Amino acid sequence: MDDRTTKAIISGNEAVAIGAYKGNAHFASGYPGTPSSEILDYFKQFKDVIAQWASNEKSGLEAALGASIAGTRSFATMKHVGLNVAADPLMTSAYTGVNAGLVVVTADDPGMHSSQNEQDNRYYAKFAKLPMLEPSNEYEAMAFMQYAFVLSEKFDLPSIMRLTTRISHSLGIVKYDTRRLDNEKIFKMKKDFQKYVMIPSNAIKKHKSLLKKIEELEIYSNESPINRIIKGRSSVGIITSGVSYNYAKELLPDAHFFKVGLTYPMPVEKIKNFVESVDRAVVIEELEPFMEEELKIAGVKVEGKKYFPTDGELNLDIVKNGLEKCGFLKKDKSKVIFEDFELPKRPPALCPGCPHRPVFDILHSLKPYVTGDIGCYTLGAIAPLSAMHTTVCMGASISMGIGASKVQDDEKIVSIIGDSTFFHTGIQPLVDAYMNNAKLTIIILDNRITAMTGGQPNPSSGFNLNNKKFEPVKIASLARTIGIKRVFEVDQYNYEETKRIIEREINIDELSVIVALRPCVLSPKKIKDEPLVVTDKCIGCKRCLRIACPAIDFVNNKAVIDADLCTGCNVCKSVCPVEGAIINV
Amino acid sequence: MCNGSKMDIKSILFAGVGGDGIITASNVAAMACMLAGFDVKKSEIHGMSQRGGSVSAFVRFGEKVYSPTDALGQVNYLFATEKIEALRANKYLNTASIGIINDRIVPIINQEIDTEYIDKKLESVKIRKIVKNFAEDALKLGNPKVINTIMMGVLSCYMPLEKEYFTEAINKIIPKRILTLNLDAFYEGILIGENTRNKNYSREVN
Repeated sequence: MDDRTTKAIISGNEAVAIGAYKGNAHFASGYPGTPSSEILDYFKQFKDVIAQWASNEKSGLEAALGASIAGTRSFATMKHVGLNVAADPLMTSAYTGVNAGLVVVTADDPGMHSSQNEQDNRYYAKFAKLPMLEPSNEYEAMAFMQYAFVLSEKFDLPSIMRLTTRISHSLGIVKYDTRRLDNEKIFKMKKDFQKYVMIPSNAIKKHKSLLKKIEELEIYSNESPINRIIKGRSSVGIITSGVSYNYAKELLPDAHFFKVGLTYPMPVEKIKNFVESVDRAVVIEELEPFMEEELKIAGVKVEGKKYFPTDGELNLDIVKNGLEKCGFLKKDKSKVIFEDFELPKRPPALCPGCPHRPVFDILHSLKPYVTGDIGCYTLGAIAPLSAMHTTVCMGASISMGIGASKVQDDEKIVSIIGDSTFFHTGIQPLVDAYMNNAKLTIIILDNRITAMTGGQPNPSSGFNLNNKKFEPVKIASLARTIGIKRVFEVDQYNYEETKRIIEREINIDELSVIVALRPCVLSPKKIKDEPLVVTDKCIGCKRCLRIACPAIDFVNNKAVIDADLCTGCNVCKSVCPVEGAIINV
Repeated sequence: MCNGSKMDIKSILFAGVGGDGIITASNVAAMACMLAGFDVKKSEIHGMSQRGGSVSAFVRFGEKVYSPTDALGQVNYLFATEKIEALRANKYLNTASIGIINDRIVPIINQEIDTEYIDKKLESVKIRKIVKNFAEDALKLGNPKVINTIMMGVLSCYMPLEKEYFTEAINKIIPKRILTLNLDAFYEGILIGENTRNKNYSREVN
C-alpha cells in the first residue's frame, strides 16, 4: 500500500483496520464472527504488523493484552457473542490496565442476520467499567479507532470499540491516507507486580483505582469533542449514537442533535444542558435503552423506548414511525406502500457437494438426539435434513451431550461439531466427556476451514492468516492422546462406510469420536468434479430431495440435476434406491 | 415540528440469489456514483449469502447521504437478477420506480414454485420495468457470466449520471483479463436500454 491520500468507498470493517494502522497498532488477534470477520484480513495487508487468528476470542484478547503489556499498541476483534467468551480477560484487564494502548473491537448483530442472539454489548462497557466508542459511519470508524488507542493510554484502560452490522458492512466514501500518526510513545515492558498480578491484595487496590478512573472518565466524557452537539433550527432534540444517528438525521435534518460518540461513560452533564435547551428530547438507540436509562438515573428528562422497539435493527421506516408517534414528525398519510407479496422463502442451504450433507442424512435415518453447534452445519437442523436438535453457543454440543447422556437412557445422544468450533471451545468438553465416562457419540466435521464466516484458516487448515504453512493439528490424534479408545476417521463421500461406522458407534455404550475428514468444497479452493445425471430409471420417489441439495430439482415427477451446480459428490447416487437412476457420465 | 421530507437522495436496490454477483454489481454502481461526484452509501448483508439464500444490497447516492439502507416505497431503481427476488423487493418500490429484471426463476429446495403466479404478480407490479432474459444476450456475447454487466448497461440509461462513470467504475473493479468482455457487455446493455427507454415504459420487453 502506498501512503498517498486516496478517496475510496470502504466498509466500516476496512475503516477500522486503516484506523488501527494509522493509530500505530502493530499487533492484532481475534476470532472470526459475522459481522467482524473482515477486519483482520484488511489489517494483515499493512507492512510492519502482526495479525493472527486465535482459536477463540478469549485467547485473542489475552494475546492482545500480552502484546500491550510488552509495549505494543494492540487490538482484538470479535462478534458480540465473542465478547462473552472473552469476558473473563475483559473484566480483569480493567483492573490491570494497559501498557501501550489496547482496543477491544466488538461487532454487534442487531436483527440477528447471522447470530444466535442480539445482546447489546454496550452493557459490557458499564459492567467492566471501560470506555466505549461508537462510530456512526466509515469515517468515524477510522477516526475513532485512532482515538481509542489514545484514550486507552491516557486512562490506562482498554478501550472498547462497538460496531454493529450496519456499520461493519455498510460502505461509504472516505478520504484517507495510510500513514502512521506521529503519536507513538515508547513503552518498555516492565515487571510490575502490583499492576499485572491480580491476586486479591493487588486487585483490591486496583478496583479502587478503577473506580477513580471512571470518575475521571465521566468528567472527560463531558468535555470530549467526540460527544458533540449538532445545532438545528427546530425546537426538538434527539440524543443518539451509532447507526441510529443516520436514520434520525435523514428524517429530521432540522432537529438539534446530541451525537454520543463515547457511549460509556455517558456525558450526562453535557446532555442535561442540551435537554434543557430544547422543548423536548428523545433518545433514539438500537436494542436496549442503555443511554435512556443512564440519563433517567441522573434525572435527565428524556423519552425513548416508549416510541422505539427494543428488538431488531432500526431503519428509516421504524425510526420514522417512532418520530410520528412522539409527534416530532407529522404522519404521512399520502404514501402508498406496495404489497408485500406472499412468496416462498429462500433459506440458505448446505452447498452442493458439502461434506456435511451425508452425515445429516445418516443421522436423519438413525434418529438419535443430536446436540449441535455453530457453523455452516447448523443448517443440518433445517428441514428436510432436520437432524440437529440443539444449538446454543460455540462449543456447547459436546458438553450438552455429556449432560443429556448422563441423566437418561431413552435417547441415543450424538454431539456434532465443526473443526473450528471444536478448537474454539470443544476441546475441554471432549476432555470432560472422557474424564466423566460419558456414553456419547461425538462427530467432528473436520472440513479444514472456518467456512461459515468466509473461509478463515484454523488449527486444522495447515496454513494461517498470513498463509504460512504448519503441520495441521490432527483431531483424531488429539482425541487418542486424551485417552479416548474409540476414535475413527471417515470419508463422508463414502456414504455406506460412514453410515456403518456412525450406526455402530451410536449403538455401543461407550464414548466414541468420529472425525469426518472431507474438506470444504468452497474454501480454500473450489472443488468440482464431473456432474451426475438422472436417467429414465428414476421412479420419482424423492429420496434424493431429502438430502436438500441445491443442485437437485424435481420436474415432471422426476429428479433433475443441474450440471453447473453439481460437484459430483455422489451422495444422491448413494441414497437413491434404484440402481442406475443416477449415474456418473 | 419538522417535515421529514426526503432530501434529494436516489437509490438502487440490488436483489438476487447467493452467487449471482450482487455484491460486485452494487460495487460498480456505487463507484460510478462516487466518480460522478455524489455522496454514496452502500449496505450489504454478509453471512449466509454464499449458501444460496436471498441477497440484497442498497446503493444510495445524492449530495449528502446518511442512512445506508432505504425506506419502504422509496427506491428509484431495482436491479434484480431473479424474479422471485424482484417480487420480494416490491414493498420498496413506487410508481416512479424503474426495474431491470432478469427473466429467470431460481428453484428453491423442496418447494414447487408456481411460475404462473410469479409471472402474474410481476405483471401486476406498477413500475416501469424491463423484464428480459438477459442470459440470451450474454450468450450472444459468448459468455453467460456477463448478465449483470449487460443489466448495468440498461440501468445506466435511466440513471442521472454519464455512462462514462460506469465504464470507469468497471475499469477499476473488474479484473483485467475479463475487462474487454465486460465493457462489450456494458455497451450491449446500453443498446438494449436506449431501445427500451424510447418505447412505452410500462410495456414489458421480451
